[in-house]
Amino acid sequence: MSDMETPEFRGRSGEGRGPGGERGERKDKEKGGGKGGFFRRRKTCKLCSEKVDYVDYKNTKLLLAFIPERAKILPRRMFGTCAPCQRKVRTAILRARQMALIPYSTE
Amino acid sequence: MSQRQYEILFIAEQNLGEPEVDTLTSTVKGFIEKENGTVEKVEKWGKKRLAYPIGKNREGSYVLMIANAPGSSISEVERRMRVTDGILRFLAIRIDAEMKKADRKKTIRGKKESTRRASVREKDRAFEGGAQ
Repeated sequence: MSDMETPEFRGRSGEGRGPGGERGERKDKEKGGGKGGFFRRRKTCKLCSEKVDYVDYKNTKLLLAFIPERAKILPRRMFGTCAPCQRKVRTAILRARQMALIPYSTE
Repeated sequence: MSQRQYEILFIAEQNLGEPEVDTLTSTVKGFIEKENGTVEKVEKWGKKRLAYPIGKNREGSYVLMIANAPGSSISEVERRMRVTDGILRFLAIRIDAEMKKADRKKTIRGKKESTRRASVREKDRAFEGGAQ
């Protein structure tokens, strides 16, 4: 459960681009990464950096970037999306699934 | 009665031809107009393959509508769509609030960058406005 809380903190601090957020990020990576000493690039919110204001459920190309082969919605820590963006992505994916634009699951 | 903007997308069954889909579209349009709404835009996507089969349909014709209608009326429109034959699925979502938020974000961002790249911003806005 504590693992779930850390990215949330990260996402919020990462938004402000403060130095504190960056430090928190690195610590989190070392703890959860497993492979000690392996340097990983810091993940930033794709939607914020690309300035997507409205996540449209009809934009399947964008949404498919957030779902892997099995068509599950991946948690934030995989993509580094910030909390507001992840919520938007989630609703958009749910809507697109309802309208059979993207699959619920793949065999 | 305040008008709200809605986006209505529905899927017509695969065995319906182009003219049948057109009549279905006008029926839905009639539902909205009956409830004091206006249809701003109708966009036909044509026949598309569904991501998963719905009933026996493997593909369906998508029709997108942008409508202005009072908030109290949309449930009635949805009810009527539910009982209309030929509509596989539909989704009616309110978009005015979201669009306003997005616009505000855009203008805030625009102000920040206005000194640096005023001309580029104008282009961006024109592009994003066309993309919606």
